[in-house]
Amino acid sequence: MDKPSPFFSNLKCRECGRLYPKQAIHVCDFDFGPLEAAYDYDAIRPVLTRAAIESRPHTMWRYRELLPIDGEPTVGTQVGFTPLVKADRLARALGIRELYVKNDTVNYPTLSFKDRVVSVALSRARELGFKVVACASTGNLANSVAANAASAGLKSYVLIPADLEQGKVLGSLVYGTNVIGIHGAYDQVNRLCSEIAGKYGWGFVNVNLRPYYAEGSKSMGYEICEQLGWRIPQHTVIPMASGSLLTKIHKAYGEFARLGLVENAPFAVYGAQATGCAPIAHAMKRGTDIVKPVPKPETIAKSLAIGTPADGYYAIHAMKQTGGSAEDVTDDEVVAGIRLLAECEGIFAETAGGVTVSCAKKLIETGKIPRDGSAVLCITGHGLKTQEAIAGKCGEPRLIKPSLREFEEHVYSKDTAAA
Amino acid sequence: MNEKQRLWLMFPTKLVTRPVLWELGRQFPVITNVRQASVTEEIGIVSLSLEGEREEIKKAIAWLEELGVNVEPVEINTIEG
Repeated sequence: MDKPSPFFSNLKCRECGRLYPKQAIHVCDFDFGPLEAAYDYDAIRPVLTRAAIESRPHTMWRYRELLPIDGEPTVGTQVGFTPLVKADRLARALGIRELYVKNDTVNYPTLSFKDRVVSVALSRARELGFKVVACASTGNLANSVAANAASAGLKSYVLIPADLEQGKVLGSLVYGTNVIGIHGAYDQVNRLCSEIAGKYGWGFVNVNLRPYYAEGSKSMGYEICEQLGWRIPQHTVIPMASGSLLTKIHKAYGEFARLGLVENAPFAVYGAQATGCAPIAHAMKRGTDIVKPVPKPETIAKSLAIGTPADGYYAIHAMKQTGGSAEDVTDDEVVAGIRLLAECEGIFAETAGGVTVSCAKKLIETGKIPRDGSAVLCITGHGLKTQEAIAGKCGEPRLIKPSLREFEEHVYSKDTAAA
Repeated sequence: MNEKQRLWLMFPTKLVTRPVLWELGRQFPVITNVRQASVTEEIGIVSLSLEGEREEIKKAIAWLEELGVNVEPVEINTIEG
């Protein structure tokens, strides 16, 4: 058993502020508000200096005093510190002075930002003594839990809707996890998962381990600040499913400013959703913080298709508080966004990345993000995971016989004429 | 055996003025306990704990859903992408 961390002090209700011990709990007993990790920043300030961080390995754990575990990380120790790419060609295409892409398409080991949250959740699960870990997921989260649990020697279960495509199931099965398909509607699967977590004492990364899991997202915000040369970006565009990533990047920027690691400069966060499932963006546009559920999401951006976003309310408040806003885009715009990012920067993103790029385009065109500003786009998963979304939409190869004459006639002469 | 379930209820506009929880208490032998609520002309959001026999809780939830109330366990968003 690890000695309690002197930095990570409690879990705390986001509604009423009541404090709870650092157990596998996630809801306040009094008002059912979500619990969140709380820290002793006065204890962290003298320890977590720029020099200390810079002396550590290039992983998300270089900010470990701000992550909710007691001892050393034991799962996903290589995760994070993905490239922050200065995207000059994409900046010109979108018409903004300066643009960066935070490229989590190359996050280790499963090519999505979920490896960040899973490494924290499973490291904490071990500290709390869980022998079995689980999640309910349709894609990236399942892959990440399966892979990270395998490398840590933890037994894992992945619960999926029974009708999920075979390709996505394979990305979890390969790691030797137990994949359970459940017949039933979305909310029935939800209820079953919460019952399983309670009854069998499993560590469900996004149920009873949720306060730990969610904090992993902050590392993306810390890395952005450090990689920009220790400053908070003026504008950050973030894809929203539950809205958790946006609220955690907002928290990360605030923590770095509070600790004096960056200047306390104004910044704004912007949320991106697909029109076929945009409960948070639509509430934001209506000027309310009441998020109406979307019973049947219809979009190719499946990793963002959460109809009842748990952190929607908090995401709206983060956007309002910073002067940001939200946008949503159609499936055609999602595909155009994927292609634009690939053609300009050589980065192949999954559909959520297309959502982020196309929403940024709209935010810049409408003046919500000023053209003379500097922005960061959070790209959260690799395009190889959602190839079906763009199949047949990127053109076809030109076919010729194996002869130089054919090449000259059908390729070279046409291309030089076009140039 | 008695058990307790923690739920978020979302009432659509047409049900905002109807005393739904009073009706539920009359029809099913379950204890209703409101822990947080926000009601506007457009929508009602209530966090509710239901205590009673498992089968009665199930029936009460089915009745709410039949009426048009959105019922989620407090652990919403269990399925992620």
